[in-house]
Amino acid sequence: MRNASRWRARLFSALILCACGAVATAGELSVLPRKVELTDAYAGRQLLVSGGGQDRTRAARYASADPNVARVDEYGYVTAVGDGSTRILIRSGHDTASVEVTVRGCRQGRAVDFKTEIVPLLSKFGCNAGGCHGKASGQNGFKLSLFGFDAAFDHEAIAREARGRRIFPAAPAQSLLLIKATGRVPHGGGKRLAEDGEEYKLIRRWIEAGAPASSPGAAHVVRLHVSPADAILQRGQEQQLAVLAEYSDGSRRDVTRQAEYFSNLDVVALVDRDGLVATTQQSGEAAIMARYLGHVAVFRAISPHGKPLERIADFTPNNYVDERAVEKWKKLGLKPSPLADDATFLRRVTIDLCGRLPTVDEARAFLADPRADRRARLIDRLLDSADYPAYFAMRWGTILRNSNLAGSERAAYAFHNWIKDMIARNRPYDEFVRGIVAAAGEWQDAPAINWYWQMRDDPLHQVTADTAQVFLGVRLQCARCHHHPYERWSQDDYYGLAGFFTRLGRKSFGEPPPYFASSSVTTGERNPLTGKTPEPKYLDGPAPTFTPEDDPRHALVDWMAKPENPFFARVLVNRLWGHFLGRGLSHEVDDLRDSNPPANPELLDALAKDFVKHKFDVKHVIRTIVNSQVYQLSSVPTPANKDDRQNFARFYARRLIAEVLFDAVNQATGTRAGGFGGVSGSARAVDLPHEGFYSYFLDTFDRPRRVTGCECERSSGATLAQVLLLANSDEVEGRIRYHEGRLARLLKEKKSTKEIIVELYLAAYARLPSKAEREKTTAYVERQQDRSQAFEDLLWVILNSKEFLFNH
Amino acid sequence: MLDFVGRGHRTCDGVSRRTFLKVGSLALGGLSLPGLLRLRAQTKEKGTPRRSVILLWLAGGPSHIDMYDLKPNAPIEVRGEFKPVRTNVPGIQISEHLPRQARILDRLAVVRSAYHTNAGHGMGSQWMLTGYQPTIEVNDNIYPSCGSVVAKRKGANEPGLPAYVNLPHALNLGKAAYLGASYNPFAPDHDPNLDNFQVRNLRLPGQIDAKRLGRRRELLGELDKLRRDIDTRGDLEGLDTFYRDGLEMVTNRRAQKAFDIHKESPKLRDQYGRHVLGQCCLLARRLVEAGVTFVTIQAGGGWDTHTVNFQQLKNILLPKYDQALTALVSDLFDRGLQDEVLVMTMGEFGRTPRINPQAGRDHWPGAMSIVYAGGGLKMGQVIGTTNANAEYPTSKPATPGCVLSTMYHVLGIDWKHVFHDQANRPLPILNEGEPIKELI
Repeated sequence: MRNASRWRARLFSALILCACGAVATAGELSVLPRKVELTDAYAGRQLLVSGGGQDRTRAARYASADPNVARVDEYGYVTAVGDGSTRILIRSGHDTASVEVTVRGCRQGRAVDFKTEIVPLLSKFGCNAGGCHGKASGQNGFKLSLFGFDAAFDHEAIAREARGRRIFPAAPAQSLLLIKATGRVPHGGGKRLAEDGEEYKLIRRWIEAGAPASSPGAAHVVRLHVSPADAILQRGQEQQLAVLAEYSDGSRRDVTRQAEYFSNLDVVALVDRDGLVATTQQSGEAAIMARYLGHVAVFRAISPHGKPLERIADFTPNNYVDERAVEKWKKLGLKPSPLADDATFLRRVTIDLCGRLPTVDEARAFLADPRADRRARLIDRLLDSADYPAYFAMRWGTILRNSNLAGSERAAYAFHNWIKDMIARNRPYDEFVRGIVAAAGEWQDAPAINWYWQMRDDPLHQVTADTAQVFLGVRLQCARCHHHPYERWSQDDYYGLAGFFTRLGRKSFGEPPPYFASSSVTTGERNPLTGKTPEPKYLDGPAPTFTPEDDPRHALVDWMAKPENPFFARVLVNRLWGHFLGRGLSHEVDDLRDSNPPANPELLDALAKDFVKHKFDVKHVIRTIVNSQVYQLSSVPTPANKDDRQNFARFYARRLIAEVLFDAVNQATGTRAGGFGGVSGSARAVDLPHEGFYSYFLDTFDRPRRVTGCECERSSGATLAQVLLLANSDEVEGRIRYHEGRLARLLKEKKSTKEIIVELYLAAYARLPSKAEREKTTAYVERQQDRSQAFEDLLWVILNSKEFLFNH
Repeated sequence: MLDFVGRGHRTCDGVSRRTFLKVGSLALGGLSLPGLLRLRAQTKEKGTPRRSVILLWLAGGPSHIDMYDLKPNAPIEVRGEFKPVRTNVPGIQISEHLPRQARILDRLAVVRSAYHTNAGHGMGSQWMLTGYQPTIEVNDNIYPSCGSVVAKRKGANEPGLPAYVNLPHALNLGKAAYLGASYNPFAPDHDPNLDNFQVRNLRLPGQIDAKRLGRRRELLGELDKLRRDIDTRGDLEGLDTFYRDGLEMVTNRRAQKAFDIHKESPKLRDQYGRHVLGQCCLLARRLVEAGVTFVTIQAGGGWDTHTVNFQQLKNILLPKYDQALTALVSDLFDRGLQDEVLVMTMGEFGRTPRINPQAGRDHWPGAMSIVYAGGGLKMGQVIGTTNANAEYPTSKPATPGCVLSTMYHVLGIDWKHVFHDQANRPLPILNEGEPIKELI
């Protein structure tokens, strides 16, 4: 203590000696804010100190010239003590600065306010978290609003419910609220509050004052600001955040100490409870979310891979995708891998567009094509082939839950064919979505009603949640029961979207039965906030009214398809990006929110804008993405980009998905038929209209059950069963040896060892074997007594190689 | 010839990975080195005797108040129609529909005071199976299941067998999460009650012998040069391990034999019950005897009795469960394995004491009953109490961490051991809970 005051005195005199006068900074040090005004006894303010281009808030030392007016702690957080004005003195190394502080409202100010002071503590100590009293059912009869978004409810719960026994103004310390929180009586949540802490005193004072509610007309938070909004931080560097809440009356309040913080990627950046961000040794970008009373704001920490680059050498942008990527790479000091060679590109783009391997003939032709634009030509040819709609129909069918359950066998075929046809004709995406979201009639005419039918068990809620997630990229389902924990969405927003589906009717006959837009409400579901049937309201938009003749779902699609709609185009381009690049610009592909910012917002915006401009032309977006150099980069990392996981400086390789892998095994071994019961003999796995076709192979490799609208149903990582299936099963062995298969044919045709090896490589890898590979494999074949067994071994090796299992 | 010292880097279990690979490929070439493999298996947690666990997972949430914690004095809308009966331990009563267990209660211990606070299937299951409460409802492990933890910390008790098996199918939430896919469970994916029961792809396909498989693997090693570091998403994870361990299982008789339930006498098979659960229990006993460390059995999915709870329990669920568990525990005790093998039964939560209008009971995490048998624990007792309506523990409350740390204690696994997730965040095996001291 004595030391501190001595230091304060010294610092003070140093400032006076310096005689810089009016300027609040000295040396390199800059401080924000320049002036602090604290308007009540509970106010505080986080100072942000920087110098030499770096945050120095934690490193700096602080002193208050008059601790009877304001206090400052070692982290640069200023609190009010008494009315008056003073200065906060700051020193970092040899640099010093000072900030003026004015305090009023301490002496005759307001009392402790429930909403402003108490509720944030309930969040800070985890009382109102989803695992405790914040969950829908509360905890042991005590329920709070999740993360404190509903102060009136919380006041009722604390001060009035249970006949007021939770608080005891006559002897505040005996209040159950405090006894439990301090662990003086058994508390499931353990000890949360220290009896000698400021927070405890604050709550006790509030109870002492009779535990008043906040006045109903009191200003409420409308927005949260975090500063700085972003920063480029070197590895292992720190950045203090300051969080301001903006109120409905225009006032602002520092809530740095009341807010909660979360990092979306703590492998890159961590954050502590006081809002100090620290980057790790791993380069990349992290979003730090600050949350206060249900509002969120995000700070982006960018930890570059190297020094910023003037230009990206050996990389010529092919279109705007590349240009936007280059901007980002320059900023991050990230150098991309070189372009993939022709064979790798051919295999990659054929898998991604058509869900199959290139044929041997395709590979030979492409590898011999001397034309400079051969890649673009290949893309056009594949997009115009029947395999493109077949593959994408399978992908869409998965997230649109197209299933044969509940008598939908024929309807599932019809829906599958409808999707395929829409894709084959490249109908605009809004028309496609309208066909689903506003589907009405019998399944023969409107097969997309199978989407509704597959959600028949919980129609209003599942349809609302899937519409939001699949078509708007908003995971709204949390807001069914409570305020969304990471977003601004409330139950009002959820039930507003649900309001578009309350008049959807279905007949009582047929599987699926006909669906229709009824003129009256068909659901018994209520908005728990109003007790009434949910009323339509656009997300972040107005509440329209409809006549009984209207089908509100059409209006919903009209709203989605407006050029300025912030969700619709973005989620589709992000989904496509994720499909082709192995990871969405926003990750996950259907979880676009402020607290989960995209890796390259400018690129996502540009793609979305382009998509709208081209009238929702899906093929145009796909062409743009796969013609970019970014898509065509090698998957092999360089020392400069080996840590990159977010910015596509190399192609992110991935294992072939179940259906594609199964077809690839058949294709490489020359056993084309999938052998599925009930469909044509030539049907491949990607052609299957629904998930009801038994296949141990597909299930072992994680074929989705089509029970969610989420792409995340497919998981990664290998299993023992997968390995045994590929390496040790009659199923695969039989294909290798199949008497009409590729190998049998080559042997029957008396091809030379070299010819056979070349064809196996082309069929599986779309490339020629290298010289070393040719020598090794030839030597192996020559060593074996049985030549056909030797080739079987080689084909086994190929099917079990990572190069085969992966799209790379 | 064999490099036991190993110049490659050492793994935490003290055996060099390179040594192991070398041995692995030689073994496939015809040499078998069970000794060294056992060395690896045993060095994981040194000095602990051989222990294993069989977990009966009653998916859906078994009704504690109708099975182990009956409340005959509760109001009619709570107590239900089942009566408590005496057991062979004086003073302990359980449901009349568990008559076989009542006769061997001296070989069981029932914890009536387990609880948590999440009433969703996905989150409740994850909490019970991992010890961690997940924050979002997903049908996949965010935290590693206890079986995966055991696989990682102990490995298999005998080489040539998987450490962690699910019967008959893999559990949705039985996976390894950040421990890596190689600690996911192995499942036969076939019903052991069927005459043609066989573990898929565990036998060499026709025309392939161990020698030829060895040749193929050698060639694969020479040709498969795709770089591992192209994998940014963890898709490759576990692949190499499984090519090594999985193909070892194929060429080694031990695994084939362990899974061959047909080797059991028809009489014993009848005792366990000729149904999936009974035969899974019997198969589990074979597996732990052979050297599998952790077996989770999916004891049916019908425990989610929202409607006609009593009919379902007394006609379908309890008879099979009672028969299978009793046979398993008796068999283990008869074989003198009561210290070596721990049996546990639990689900994701209990059920609402108040009966709903459909004569069902809904989700209730506030109280549930867990059964332990063997494992060297103190048997023949009931631990903890609940209030008059079996809603909340009134003494000795046991969190999921308590339930699981008791199991880890039996296995000699330090449940405070710290793993790191993908984000390098330190996460102890359990972040709360201590073993139930009455059991130890």
